Amino acid sequence: MNLILKKDQLNHQLNAWRQDYEVYAPQSLQNYTHFLPLQDGFELALDKAHNTRIPPKALFLPTSEALLKFTRVGGYEQVPTETTPRLIFGIRPCDAHAMTMLDTVFEQERYTDPHWQARRDATLLVGLGCHEPCQTGFCTTVGSGPFNHAGLDAILTDLGDIFLVETLTEKGESLFSQLETATEEQSAQASVLQQAAAASMPIAFETEGLKEKLDQNFDSPYWEEISRSCLSCGVCTFLCPTCFCFDIVDEAQRGERVRNWDTCMFRTYSLEASGHNPRPSRVERTRQRLSHKYTYWVDQINQIGCTGCGRCVRYCPVGLDIRAMLRKANQLPSEVAHV
Amino acid sequence: MPELDALKAEAKRLLDEGIVEMVIGFKAGDTPLHPQPAFFKTSEEIDQLVYNALCQNNLATYLTRFPKTQKIGMLVRGCENRSVNALVFEGQHPRENLYLIGIPCEGIIDWRKIIEKTGEEVISVFEQSDNKILVESKSGSFTLEKTTLLHESCARCIHPNPISADIVIGELLPEGDPALAREQVAAFTDLSLQERHAWFRQEAERCIRCYACREACPMCYCEECFVDHVSPRWTESGTTPAGMQGWHIVRAFHQTGRCTSCGACERACPMDIKMTYLTEKLNQDMRQKYNFEVGLDTETPPPFSTITLDDKSRFIV
Amino acid sequence: MSETPKLVLFQCQWCLFSPADQEWVDNQLPANIHLIKVPCTGRINPLYLLNAVQGGADGIMISGCLPEQCHFKTGNIGARRQLEEFSDYLNYIGYEQERVRFLWLDLQDRGIIQKELAAFEAQLEALGPAHNLATRTVKSAGGANA
Repeated sequence: MNLILKKDQLNHQLNAWRQDYEVYAPQSLQNYTHFLPLQDGFELALDKAHNTRIPPKALFLPTSEALLKFTRVGGYEQVPTETTPRLIFGIRPCDAHAMTMLDTVFEQERYTDPHWQARRDATLLVGLGCHEPCQTGFCTTVGSGPFNHAGLDAILTDLGDIFLVETLTEKGESLFSQLETATEEQSAQASVLQQAAAASMPIAFETEGLKEKLDQNFDSPYWEEISRSCLSCGVCTFLCPTCFCFDIVDEAQRGERVRNWDTCMFRTYSLEASGHNPRPSRVERTRQRLSHKYTYWVDQINQIGCTGCGRCVRYCPVGLDIRAMLRKANQLPSEVAHV
Repeated sequence: MPELDALKAEAKRLLDEGIVEMVIGFKAGDTPLHPQPAFFKTSEEIDQLVYNALCQNNLATYLTRFPKTQKIGMLVRGCENRSVNALVFEGQHPRENLYLIGIPCEGIIDWRKIIEKTGEEVISVFEQSDNKILVESKSGSFTLEKTTLLHESCARCIHPNPISADIVIGELLPEGDPALAREQVAAFTDLSLQERHAWFRQEAERCIRCYACREACPMCYCEECFVDHVSPRWTESGTTPAGMQGWHIVRAFHQTGRCTSCGACERACPMDIKMTYLTEKLNQDMRQKYNFEVGLDTETPPPFSTITLDDKSRFIV
Repeated sequence: MSETPKLVLFQCQWCLFSPADQEWVDNQLPANIHLIKVPCTGRINPLYLLNAVQGGADGIMISGCLPEQCHFKTGNIGARRQLEEFSDYLNYIGYEQERVRFLWLDLQDRGIIQKELAAFEAQLEALGPAHNLATRTVKSAGGANA
């Protein structure tokens, strides 16, 4: 069901939602945009940047969260899960698609993360498609797209002074019950725009056969070549919407067991108590990162574990570009003869 | 602007004559705003060498990765040369195994300042010899003044010339005015204690503990950083106020007498956090109290490595 | 009604030559003063101060020996530069310099530490509690990027 939301009605709509939900939308923070809860007198920053620096995964898997609180003599108590109803407005399709992939990690049959699940169940995602896709994005290359529906309750298409709203779930429908239906012309206009946006994006690297090439070249000097200038910091992984690794530490002075974001790019990530480190250098760690995204996840969920948001490309402090790395991987030999 | 042909010729000579096994410099980036650090091992590879105002990393940070026996060539600007000197003093690489090609530096551009003017979708950046930067972006064509785009550390730079390079290619530039560095610290100290604290807290609270600042810094090379310690637990590891503030406070403090004011830390930060106001305060104190500036030679020990009965400090009677 | 200031005392184990003074510190220290005894002030890593500050200390006193009287010859001098710079640095970001005090004692001093602590406490009461960097007492996790 396609509906029309006039842009000059957007703030009114957001305020109406604020009666029932804590509404998050991109707002200005320093030079960039960030999903912040809307407060009275809010100012949206939908045009300032294509996407927020920190992906909205942070609203479900916080950079740090306390899991247990304990005292020296008093035992411990669990930190209760949050169930405040929330609505995230203006999430981009790459980030929403990534959320569905993270669900396969945190909501498994045998083990479900109660914090993740509680937040996911309590949150609606209203997406804003990218009618002018960004240059560092490569969503169409990896099976996503500027108007991809995965993970969204509704998606908006910018048609100038109006948004075309496509409701994608029952919850999404209930959010927009007050709006007028879109005309056929408007729907067609949106459709054309969406296809043009996707078509305008060049293919960043070949995905056909990529998995096999990565699998079959585990010992290739390629990995050393592409990782030479890597600083082994956490920028690419922390800004990545599909990355989820975490570390659990006991902060004894504060009396909390805390879960923090962790990254396979840190040397200490795989450092074992014995002192042995199976990934001692950037070479192994870069191989792990690329392989996790572009082959191991394919094995696990039958999708490339990347939605092409482009943050890693934009913010790598040394300018490394994963698209270039994978184009180079495309050149690797298909069959490595084992002597 | 750097004399690229002369730089290439010298770098090729070093490799061809076996003087070094590798030359560290920059090559063109895969994105317009970011040339990449590069490690050239053959003369042919030197054809890829690039040097412009967007080369925003301090290459000295790579030095500590290589064995001390390895003969390494590096293209160094003013701050990088001093960082190398500091590393040599700290025993991280013998000077005789280094060949430094010095480049007098007019400053590094802060890419954030470009996108502020041109929007995010930059297509190409071209540096002209008359200090103009031509930018093509999706929102149009822009001609910008390089001096307005400099990263703040470069705008305040006192020593743009490499001081102990084996060869300097390019015309030496006038030394910068030390008053600029003093003024930055003075402007902050002039604020009230509460204002200073509010600024510090506001900057630190955006931190995501990615440690890009640490990895970009040539002087942060500890195998085990203080944040990795469990016993004693110096700092919380998460994004709690104690953790984020502790991280910034201590990382800057561990640079006292070692920081060359290059600004690579700020340029690396994905959350645009300011941190040179901390290191500059410490650098300024070292200059004022102990007449010490790091990296001007490879012999003078920094103030925290020396002890003397003559110190005049506020609490010694 | 002002709160009783929370003090932390880093005491070099040698600086109180008088057994009476040491006994006072060991057994009669007021409850609002937290004692950490160190083998020498040179042992004090500036991060100990940071830990105290983040834990909510309203004031920190470091007591050690005069320069020529260090049990380990020059340990106390090694501490001076770093600790002084660190307290200057803390002041720069919001922890008043008056809250960090160094007390260098002569072997012949008697009864000084009690007086100094009392005077320090009075000054801290006037200054008020230190809120700015007392972040470990903040219980919420997450920062701006939660």
